[in-house]
Amino acid sequence: MIEYATIEHTRESWRLDEAVWTRVRNVIAFLMLLGWAGCAAGFFQDSERFFRSYLVGFLDVTLIALGCLFFVMVMYLTGSAWSVTVRRIFETIMVTIPLAAVLVLPILGGIHHLYEWSHSEHVAHDKILLGKAGWLNPEAFVIRAFVYVLIWSVMAIRIYTNSTAQDKTKSVKHMDSTSAWSAPGLLLVFLSVSTAAFDWIMSLNPHWYSTIFGIYVYAGGGLACIATVTVICLWLRRHGILAQSIHLEHYHDLGKWMFALTVFWAYIAFSQYMLIWYANLAEETVFYTKRLVGSWKFVSGLLLFGHFIVPFFFLIQRRVKRNLGALLAAALWILVICYIDLYWMVMPNFDKEGVRPHWLDAVAWLAVASTYAFAFWWQLKKHSLVPEGDARLEQSLAHVNI
Amino acid sequence: MENSSLPAALELKELHGVAAAFESPDKLLKAAKAVRKSGFTKVEAYTPFPIHGIDDVLGIPHSHLGRIVICCGALGATAALTLIAWTGSGDPLLFPYWTGLGAYPLVIGGKPLFSFEPSIPITFELTVLLSAFGAVFGMFALNGLPQLYHPIFNFRHADRITDDQFVLVIEKADPKFDATECTRLLQELDPVTVEMVEE
Repeated sequence: MIEYATIEHTRESWRLDEAVWTRVRNVIAFLMLLGWAGCAAGFFQDSERFFRSYLVGFLDVTLIALGCLFFVMVMYLTGSAWSVTVRRIFETIMVTIPLAAVLVLPILGGIHHLYEWSHSEHVAHDKILLGKAGWLNPEAFVIRAFVYVLIWSVMAIRIYTNSTAQDKTKSVKHMDSTSAWSAPGLLLVFLSVSTAAFDWIMSLNPHWYSTIFGIYVYAGGGLACIATVTVICLWLRRHGILAQSIHLEHYHDLGKWMFALTVFWAYIAFSQYMLIWYANLAEETVFYTKRLVGSWKFVSGLLLFGHFIVPFFFLIQRRVKRNLGALLAAALWILVICYIDLYWMVMPNFDKEGVRPHWLDAVAWLAVASTYAFAFWWQLKKHSLVPEGDARLEQSLAHVNI
Repeated sequence: MENSSLPAALELKELHGVAAAFESPDKLLKAAKAVRKSGFTKVEAYTPFPIHGIDDVLGIPHSHLGRIVICCGALGATAALTLIAWTGSGDPLLFPYWTGLGAYPLVIGGKPLFSFEPSIPITFELTVLLSAFGAVFGMFALNGLPQLYHPIFNFRHADRITDDQFVLVIEKADPKFDATECTRLLQELDPVTVEMVEE
């Protein structure tokens, strides 16, 4: 029989070791330097490409933070106990979201390189774009971008400060406050992420529209968020951090979430595809016909197998979810395929003949990811690694999957 | 402690096992460990709520329900695809949909007689439906439900199993079972009461 941890016999430290923290910070800072220097070089070499690559990288990592925001709110609303020991990791990723206000600037600056509707002389000759000009115009686009980030930041900071205050006071009033914020917050965040997806991705092809598109994008973000948390927890575990507090039963549950979101992503992706296929209207099918050209059709096929069929049959197995090595492999693969999914949404609008990988794709991602990672790592040291004051902590430590 | 010697009437009836009631989950777990350690295998616990770790202690293996569900799900998917192929296209084994000789070949919206896109929702629904049947009825079957009679209700404190008592039974079916020996063993484990339970 397995002996489970309780507060009394969890003797491990819930603080990051100074030496480990500094070493990792230095690595992240170096990668950040590398990423931004590469971005600068790329910008002068091929500014068109820089903006495209940067857009994909920015979306990929920002959606991970937004996924965490969603999950933390859901955890509070459902009163989930299993997730308490993992929650501080979610919360710390979530609270990096104000950085998006700065990281979104290159996209706003590159608006004329990315979005054809931003050219007024082009819009003037296009009846459809004229009709959409009330929403799709540069001023509104910029204002909306900041409003989105403001909504996300207010929610994230409110929840985070509540949670860390509870570490000390141990009072449930912080928990109640977060729950009260989360109910309307969830609605607000879902709507704003949805319209952000319309703005930043869907309007790359401004004639096309799909109302389910926001959910499709956010489903991928949620999946990538769980995969990220899994990878971070397993990395910490390898360095002996949180090895008792986050045990096999919590990893099993993270695996279940990865499985569930894989299915959810496929459900939404297929819903969008089938309705467009069935109606067979030229202005709608253009999204898919663009992605069945040249080598893009292999990427489309890769998404079908790599984003759904293979992870589905892999993660459905209990023994995979309870095998930390296999779970790590699944999480890393999901992070790769979620990036490819966004790449597949953005790039066919520009590289019309087929896939044209570019070194800037990797470098732009690295710049954004390392910046978020730096903020995450900085914040992680400030507070306990586990929400110590949470009323359900003991329950979470003793969590068992029957 | 009562009932350490057998009443004559009980000896004549068929015996189900020896039951002991405990006042806390901890005591039950400890007792179950001790009983299993003494080599008994046919041991059952009855508790007001699920107790973490009791499956491990009693040596109950992981349920086969998952396997039943995936078989039912696969059956549902196969049934759906066969149905679609047969009604829409033709012989499901040979799959000659291009001949249009199916049971009900109907062109709808200018679409081909068979395509995957509209078939997925039907396949999905039938997969989920049969998986759910497999899960519910499989659970019933594995638990031996519905069960109209169970000997544990002959235990005098049976009604308190749904309230505040935690009961452990060593069944007569156990190869090592011996009524007096089991009673003695259970009495050493700090129970509220130990009793023989009729079949």
